[in-house]
Amino acid sequence: MQLSRQNTNHRVSNKFTAFWLAAIAIGMVGVAFASEPLYKLFCEVTGYAGTTRVAANAVSNDKILERVIEIKFDSNVNAKLPWRFRPVTNGVKVKIGEEVIAFYEATNLSKKPIVGTALFNVTPYTSAQYFNKIECFCFSEQVLKPGETVQMPVTFYVDPNIKNDVWENDLKTITLSYTFFMAEDQSAAIKINKSEASMGKAAFGVPRNQIREVFSYIGDSNLKKGENL
Amino acid sequence: MSDLTSVDNSAHDHHDHKPTGWRRWAYSTNHKDIGTMYIFLAMIAGLLGMAASMAIRAELALPEIQFITDSQFYNVLVTAHGFLMVFFVVMPALIGGFGNWFIPLMVGAPDMAFPRMNNISFWLLAAALVLLVLSGFVQGGAGTGWTAYPPLSNADYHPGPAVDFAILSLHLAGASSILGAINFITTILNMRTPGMSFHKMPLFIWASLVTAFLLLLALPVLAGALTMLLTDRNFGTTFFEASGGGDPIFWQHLFWFFGHPEVYIMILPAFGIVSEVVSTFSKKPIFGYLGMAYAMAGIGVVGFVVWAHHMFTVGFNVETRAYFVLATMVIAVPTGIKIFSWLATMWGGSIEFKTPMLYAMGFIFLFVVGGVTGITLANAGVDMAFHDTYFVIAHFHYVLSIATIFGIFCGVFYWLPKMCGNMYNETLGKWQFWITFIGVNILFFPQHFLGMAGMPRRIPDYPDAYAGWNLISSFGALISLVGALMFIYIVWVTIRSGEKAPANPWGEGATTLEWTVDSPAPFHTHEQAPELEPKSAAQPAE
Repeated sequence: MQLSRQNTNHRVSNKFTAFWLAAIAIGMVGVAFASEPLYKLFCEVTGYAGTTRVAANAVSNDKILERVIEIKFDSNVNAKLPWRFRPVTNGVKVKIGEEVIAFYEATNLSKKPIVGTALFNVTPYTSAQYFNKIECFCFSEQVLKPGETVQMPVTFYVDPNIKNDVWENDLKTITLSYTFFMAEDQSAAIKINKSEASMGKAAFGVPRNQIREVFSYIGDSNLKKGENL
Repeated sequence: MSDLTSVDNSAHDHHDHKPTGWRRWAYSTNHKDIGTMYIFLAMIAGLLGMAASMAIRAELALPEIQFITDSQFYNVLVTAHGFLMVFFVVMPALIGGFGNWFIPLMVGAPDMAFPRMNNISFWLLAAALVLLVLSGFVQGGAGTGWTAYPPLSNADYHPGPAVDFAILSLHLAGASSILGAINFITTILNMRTPGMSFHKMPLFIWASLVTAFLLLLALPVLAGALTMLLTDRNFGTTFFEASGGGDPIFWQHLFWFFGHPEVYIMILPAFGIVSEVVSTFSKKPIFGYLGMAYAMAGIGVVGFVVWAHHMFTVGFNVETRAYFVLATMVIAVPTGIKIFSWLATMWGGSIEFKTPMLYAMGFIFLFVVGGVTGITLANAGVDMAFHDTYFVIAHFHYVLSIATIFGIFCGVFYWLPKMCGNMYNETLGKWQFWITFIGVNILFFPQHFLGMAGMPRRIPDYPDAYAGWNLISSFGALISLVGALMFIYIVWVTIRSGEKAPANPWGEGATTLEWTVDSPAPFHTHEQAPELEPKSAAQPAE
C-alpha cells in the first residue's frame, strides 16, 4: 500500500501485532477443542451433570449409617435399538454405606445379534458425587443374541460422607437411570454371527440359566439384597 | 515526530484519485468504501430479517394458526430472523460499517492497517449471507433457533444439508469478523496520530477496541463448537451425542461462552456512538471519561465469566447458580457507571435536540428498561420460571435489538453528513424517531406481560389467554415497520438531494478528528498525521 502512512508507533510493526492477534485467535480455537476432554474430566471429578463415581470396593461395616435412602431404578432404550430393557425391581431402600446389588433385564427383540452400550446418570445431580458403583454392566458393551434375555447386575453403595454435606440433609430418594444405545462398534455381534460360538456369555451379562447361582452367591456373602419395594 | 511527515508525500497531490465502476467496490481496499458496503449489506439483511419478523408477528397476532401451517417453516423464520439480525445486520452495521468508516478518521490514520484483508473480511461476509439465505431453500431449512442446540440441530432431527449450510455460513461470518478484529486492533494500537495516547482516544475508539478483543476471543470458540457440530452431523463424532459418551449440555457451555460476549459485541459499539453523540449535542466533554472507558473494558472482561446464566435450568448445583447470579449482577455496576455518566454529561449542558441526540436518549431509555429486566432474569430462581418465555424475548429485544438499532440509527443520522456530504431533513428525522420509538415500545413492552403469564417462545400458536397483548404487540410491529421504511426513505432522499453539509455541521460540541476533514470525507484522508490540539479530543475536563 503506497498510500498507507504505516504505523505511527515505531516500536512494533503492524505485521507483528497482527501475528500475535492471529495467534490468540488460533489459540482460542484450541481452547474450544481442549475443553472437550477437560469437560469430561471435570464431570468425573466433581460428579457434575449426574456423573457417578466408580469405587474399587465397599466401605467397611462400621461406617454404615442408620439413615435409609431410597434408590429408584429407571430405564430407557434409544429408538434405534430394538431391545427391551427394564429394572427387575423398581427400587430398594438401603442404608447409607450398605453395598447393594440390583438387576436390570434386557431382551434382544430383533433377529440378529446386537452390541448395546448403556449410559447412566443419577438425579438429583448433586447426589452423583456420593453414588459409587463397584461393578456395573454399563462399564462395558453388551452383546445379545437374537431373542436372548440377560439379567445384568449393578453393585453400588451411597458414600457415608454424604452426612457431612448440608445440601444433602433432606435427600430421601436417588434415581439411577440408564439408557441403552446401539454401540458404534458392532464387531462383537458380527463375530457371533460368523462363528456361532454360542457360549452365550455376554461381556458382563448373566444368561438366564445362571441367575439362581448369582442370587445364591448373594445369599452366601455378607451382601444383603435390598429390601424390595 | 518529524519523521512522520516524511513518510509518504507521493500520494496527496492526486487527492481524490479512485478506481471507477464495479472494480472500485469489488477490489476495494478503501476503508470508507468498504464501510459503505458493510452498511449496504446490513440494510439488505435488515430488510430480510424484518420480513421474517413481520411474518412471525402476523402469525402471532391472533390465536390459532393464521397462515404458517408448516411448523418447521415457522422454526426456520425464527432461526433466520436471529441469525440475520445478529450476524448480518447489527455486527456489519456497527463494527464493519461505522468501525471501518470512522476508526481511521477518528484516530487520524490514512486507512486500516491491512486494507486488502479488509476487502476479504467484507466479501467473506457477503458469501456467508448468500449461504445463509440458501440454507432456507434446501430440504426444510434450518429450524434450530439461532442457538442451534443439539439434539435438535443434529443429524437425527435436521437430516438435510440446511443446517450444514447455516454452520458453514457462520464459519465464514466468524472468519470475516476475526480478520476484521485483527485489523481494527492493529489500526487502533499502532496507527493513532501522534499525541493521541490511550487516554485521549474518543470513546467510540475505546468501544471498538474492546469489541474487537471480544470478537478475537469469543468467535474462535464458536468456530470450534460449530466444527464439532459439523463433524457430529457428518463424520460420526460424538461431541454432543449422548450415545457416544458426549453431552448436549457441552454445546450449551461452548455456545454461551461465545454467546454472552457476543451480546456485548453488539452493544459496545452502540455505547461508543451514544457517548460521542451525547457529548456533541450537550456541548460538553463526556463526564467521567476514564470511568466510561474502563467501564467498557470491565464489561468486556466480566462478560466472559457469566455465560451459564443462559442455562440455569440444566441442573446446576446451588453454589454454581449462586456464582453465576452474582457475577451477572456485577455487570450492572460498570453499566450503571455508563448510564450515570451519560446523564451527568447532559446535566447542565446546552442540549440541542437534533435527531441523533433524540436517538441517543432513546437508546439510554431502552437500555435501562432492558437492563432492569436483565437484573430480574439474572436471579436463577426467577429465571427457572421465565426461561424460554416471552419475558426473555422482551428483555433481550430491548437491549440487543432495539437499543442497538437505535445506536445504528443514531450513528447514521450523526455521521450521514460526513459519509455522503448532505444533511438529512431534520423534521423528517424527528418524525421518524418518534414513530420508531413509539412503535418499538408498543411492540415489545406487552411481551413482558405475555412472558410473565407464561407464553413460551418459538411456538406459532397460543391459547386464548394470550390474545389481546399479542395483537397490540403485532400492531406495534406495524408502526415500527413504518419507522424502518421511513428511515430508508430519509437516507435515500438525503443522499439524492440533501442540503450540502459543512465539514462540521454540529458546531463546537463535535471535537473528534472526523469533523476536521471535508464533507463528504474525501477518498483519501489523513495522509499527513493530523494535529491533535490539546482540547480537540474527547477528553475529560479535568
